[in-house]
Amino acid sequence: MTKTESKPLVRLLEILVLFARIGVTSFGGGLSAWIYREVVDRRRWLTEDEFLAGLTLAQILPGPNVINISIYIGQRLRGPVGSAIAALALLLPPMIVAVLLLALFQSYGDLAWLQNLLQGIAAAAIGLTFSVGFRAARHASKTNRWALAILALIFIPIGLLRWPLVPVVLCVAPLAVLAARKGKTG
Amino acid sequence: MRDDLPWQLVLVFAPLSLLSIGGGQSVIADLNKQAVDVHGWMSQADFVSLFAISRASPGPGSLLSTLVGWQIDGWVGAVVASMAYFVPSSLIAFAVSRVWTRYRGRAWQGALEEGLAPLATGLILAGAFTVLVSSSGTLSLWLIVAVCTATFILRPKLNPLPVLLAAGLAQVAVGALS
Repeated sequence: MTKTESKPLVRLLEILVLFARIGVTSFGGGLSAWIYREVVDRRRWLTEDEFLAGLTLAQILPGPNVINISIYIGQRLRGPVGSAIAALALLLPPMIVAVLLLALFQSYGDLAWLQNLLQGIAAAAIGLTFSVGFRAARHASKTNRWALAILALIFIPIGLLRWPLVPVVLCVAPLAVLAARKGKTG
Repeated sequence: MRDDLPWQLVLVFAPLSLLSIGGGQSVIADLNKQAVDVHGWMSQADFVSLFAISRASPGPGSLLSTLVGWQIDGWVGAVVASMAYFVPSSLIAFAVSRVWTRYRGRAWQGALEEGLAPLATGLILAGAFTVLVSSSGTLSLWLIVAVCTATFILRPKLNPLPVLLAAGLAQVAVGALS
């Protein structure tokens, strides 16, 4: 296994703490955006391209995307143990919270204000995801002049036309790789 | 009947794990059908409230599998359903990550990573957009989305949690006033 020598090895405890924290604080969904911010923006454990390639793999493969991307990041940083720690740290704490919430809900019934609170939080989480997408798009368009065209080829069928994700990705992926070779700037 | 309940959970959740291509959302409809119509484990109202709680909890939405298991068979059900749902797909993800890491630094992989970056960006935006249009979409929610998008673009290192909480409280206030 080759490692980037300039980077110090990330400690397992750091992986555990980060993913557990993301797991219990990421209300409103959009976990990939949370992970991106922590792993790429703040800690620089992975480059933007490494993360986004992992995210594409995570989306094509079966299984929840966030679990898959955690496994990929853990594997990249610390091999099998890193994978297991990242995925379990992300899953177990919110699992317990979810079961406790269910028990609470079953004893007290639903409350209109809670519904509103959650809707507001979910809307903010959508904003968080949009901001990550926007910044990644800006970065990609600086290194590749076809990047925005590829982005549109994914966004329009999947986001607007609601076509199924996997066939669209499989059709666009070869084009995207070709475009990256031909369209490199600078 | 009750003795083989855990086994029945495995038979429902493990295939869904391998079918959940493109993310957990893709199998929710099928899980709903299995739990309510095929096996009669719960009413449709129960399933809808479990779904709502999975959205309200932190962490991935796929925790719905844990809640469905818990509803059916308590702690045993929660553990069995979670493992059956998360382990098979995770093993595949691990195998692929391992192969990907082994060929790290090769020219073809650099080319693939560069090519996939704008594609993944399109997926991120399409995913968020889909959630946005399927939400109840009141004016106040669109406003929150717009303000938060701008805030997080301008301040990429800002801790999201206080912003999310403020957004939730703002929506509660809107609900109380209208």
